[in-house]
Amino acid sequence: MTSTRSASPVAAAAVHRPGDLAAARDAVLAAREADANILVHGAGTKLGWGGRPAPGRNWHVVDTRGLNRLVRHDAGDMTASVQAGMPLRELQAQLAHAGQELAADPSRRARGATVGGVYAAGDGGPRRHHHGGVRDLVIGTTAVLADGTVARSGGDVIKNVAGYDLGKLWSGSLGTLGLVVEMTVRLHPLAEAARAVRVPAAADVATAIVLDLLASPAEPVAVEWSGGAGGGALLVGVEGRAAAVDAQVASVAAVARRHAATVEPVDGEPDVWDAWREAHAGEPGATVARAATRPGDLAAAADALDVAADGTSVGTTLHSHAGLGLHDAVLRGGDAAEHAAVAAAWRERIRAIGGSVVLRDRPAGVDEHVDPWGDPGSGRLLELMRSVKSALDPERRFAPGRFVGGI
Amino acid sequence: MPMAIEDLRQELTGLLGDRGLLTEWTQRRTYESDGLTGYRIVPALVALPEDVQQVVGVVRACARHGVPLVPRGAGTGLSGGALPHADGVLIALSRMRRIVEVDAANQRITVEPGVTNAQVSRAVAEHDLYYAPDPSSQVVCSIGGNVAENSGGAHCLKYGFTTHHVLACEVVLPDGEVVELGGPTLDAPGYDLRGVFVGSEGTLGIVTKVSLRLLRRPDAVRTLVADFPSPSAAGDAVSANIAAGIVPAAVEMMDNLAIQACEADAHAGFTLDAGAALIVELDGPAAECDAAFADVTRLCNENGATSIRIAGDASDRDLIWKGRKAAFAAMGRLSPDYFVQDGVIPRTRLGECLARIDEMAVEAGLRVANVFHAGDGNLHPLVLYTAADPEQAERAETLSRQIAELCVSFGGSLSGEHGIGADKACSMPTMFTADDLAVMDRVRAAFDPHGRCNPDKVFPTPRLCGERPGPYRPHPLESAGVIERM
Ligand SMILES: Cc1cc2nc3c(=O)[nH]c(=O)nc-3n(C[C@H](O)[C@H](O)[C@H](O)COP(=O)(O)OP(=O)(O)OC[C@H]3O[C@@H](n4cnc5c(N)ncnc54)[C@H](O)[C@@H]3O)c2cc1C
Repeated sequence: MTSTRSASPVAAAAVHRPGDLAAARDAVLAAREADANILVHGAGTKLGWGGRPAPGRNWHVVDTRGLNRLVRHDAGDMTASVQAGMPLRELQAQLAHAGQELAADPSRRARGATVGGVYAAGDGGPRRHHHGGVRDLVIGTTAVLADGTVARSGGDVIKNVAGYDLGKLWSGSLGTLGLVVEMTVRLHPLAEAARAVRVPAAADVATAIVLDLLASPAEPVAVEWSGGAGGGALLVGVEGRAAAVDAQVASVAAVARRHAATVEPVDGEPDVWDAWREAHAGEPGATVARAATRPGDLAAAADALDVAADGTSVGTTLHSHAGLGLHDAVLRGGDAAEHAAVAAAWRERIRAIGGSVVLRDRPAGVDEHVDPWGDPGSGRLLELMRSVKSALDPERRFAPGRFVGGI
Repeated sequence: MPMAIEDLRQELTGLLGDRGLLTEWTQRRTYESDGLTGYRIVPALVALPEDVQQVVGVVRACARHGVPLVPRGAGTGLSGGALPHADGVLIALSRMRRIVEVDAANQRITVEPGVTNAQVSRAVAEHDLYYAPDPSSQVVCSIGGNVAENSGGAHCLKYGFTTHHVLACEVVLPDGEVVELGGPTLDAPGYDLRGVFVGSEGTLGIVTKVSLRLLRRPDAVRTLVADFPSPSAAGDAVSANIAAGIVPAAVEMMDNLAIQACEADAHAGFTLDAGAALIVELDGPAAECDAAFADVTRLCNENGATSIRIAGDASDRDLIWKGRKAAFAAMGRLSPDYFVQDGVIPRTRLGECLARIDEMAVEAGLRVANVFHAGDGNLHPLVLYTAADPEQAERAETLSRQIAELCVSFGGSLSGEHGIGADKACSMPTMFTADDLAVMDRVRAAFDPHGRCNPDKVFPTPRLCGERPGPYRPHPLESAGVIERM
């Protein structure tokens, strides 16, 4: 396999590459036997996310890319069971034969991002606006805990409330609770037609348009904004039946025109979504800070970023899943200390409006000045998260140091 | 009255006053069961807190005295989730019914747990917004109960379940500490404990405030009722629609017994001699809706629909839904008592599964009416019986349990929306291995190390299910030869 990956943040004493559940369990038990910590990765595109691994024990690495099979595709029921290390791109190609997809479009698919990696990172793309995040599409999970216990939760049907929904725990846990080996997911039909329009708009006008779009009967699948102090643009996608998508485009355009904005069709540009999606991930050497706010706080988030970077040598762009209130600030130029200072200042302002900022990729040195997670809120909440961690991984083997509060 | 309860009574009277604490047997007996009326236990005390501070006070007092507690919303649950504990305190949240905040621009609302599901949509109707999950019990059931059960409804096929619409929960943990799980934005940093809490059936704490996501009312809604000679023919029509890439807002099915009961109750204009009726509803942008609706009509005809009625206007549509949502209440016309199950099967196996249920009903000498969420394979078989005949009641209960377990054997689930509660806890080993359940129990202990919050629910215990462990069921990966029993 040729996919690239960022340099592992740990020096591995052993690398395991299991191909099935039994081997995955053996790998975990081998690490335990060797009294080692465990770092799980797929294509490694998100190894730079989360806190830096805690020093202490040796490390065993579990590379999930041998777990690369589509185990079952029930086209009639619109579900599939897939091993965690399967590249999302390959999964989509197979599902497309049946006119279906896993409705998740995170960045870095071209670099081999795996289904399990996307799930464990809680990553999503522009179409999360309509379909929800991966966590909302996973209906069953099989995972191996640090003591070798194989635990399954959820099931194979999309509607199911039996037992705790532990699938939500794995999502976004960055491999700190256990090794996800297989997931069952809900699928969606591929849309017959898709259209997109670009609406040049600075953050304040864009915010007003976004709120109006949410309040309008249009059902866009994606509402993105990208820009900075000098202005920006919205990119709005609609999907549906060939006979009807134009009407959807017209209702999006009507909203934009109410704000005196121009509407540019971009359907002749096949790469436009790829470009916008990949922009969220930033480029090598950049710091990516992810803010979560209410959708109506887009302009506030953009302003706060400008203020935070003002007077520094750091350049910023904001790439926003605007309809969801999720914003990725890409910081470039300047040194690590400056990146940290801008991120910290932005975080402070975002917190003041009830949001949060978490660092994703960033250059070496940033963590010396700022905690990538920030303060997780009330002490009791962090304590509860620690209790959950120690319930599942009492010896703290899975990626200690990587999660919030040093978990 | 045991010592601990007597001490607690005195303490809680000071905290809640006479109005907030029910101690008389006749008063407490009102709370002896939820919607699953076959299970009855009179709680030792009933607390009716009016705000989060009072909830904290009650929970702390219970913790100090080592007394179990059971949260309760409106008591419409159908799995005995709010079944009281004889030596415990029932905490009813029905007096906490304030709408705390409406943020129409950001399409969010924050409410106390006693607010009913329907009140949420009413409170934001002026903004053209609504709350999507719509259990048939929505006029009565509480948001706290919806969160605890991860409730669904007819329109969940397109819009998802409660868990997809909850942004944040303020929770009083079993030790009396208050935490906020989730937050006003998506993706609050840390583990998604909000996601774990939703659907935990009152076993992880008491939710005292909930922030919900709202949706814009759809541009257009189109509804039809299609009659079919049999449920399996109707099931084929559903599969054909899904295969054509249509995602209806709702697809509901009623078999002939259910049609008769609903029609007698609601006069919705259902065809009395149809073998099965499908209600299909589409919503969304008008042009999308119309294009898809034409396909739905065609596909129903191609799959043997004997008649199709298209709702002419909103009041006609309301009448159709009134007919459907009356189903449980209407069963009283067919039989004095019924058990309802809500197992889920892969939709493609509908015909097969219904045929097996028919056989089982004949074998048991009982009638089973079927009304269900056909789009997601969530059955609601209603096993009809007469409680006055204890032998028949027992047969009905057995059949009902067997039907739920049948769904699991078809690759489905014991419950799609009503929860496990006290009712199905002993069937859990048919769906999960001992290891799966033990891991869930570890998570439970992280929230509630002393097991005081809604004990004896969800998980099988020897006390509940006898010393014999449930029937052994191989792990799915074990059957596939991937793992061996460990
Ligand atoms: C006629 C009828 C139709 C129904 N239709 C549907 C349907 O279409 N879809 C569906 O999903 N359900 C349906 N139900 C089931 C029921 O209405 C739902 O489960 C509902 O969510 C229960 O809400 P409640 O307020 O009545 O909760 P209760 O019955 O009081 O409690 C349910 C569970 O929630 C816990 N709980 C309650 N409040 C809290 C709280 N504040 N904090 C923590 N835990 C709490 C209880 O301990 C219990 O385990 C129906 C019931 C009836 C009677």
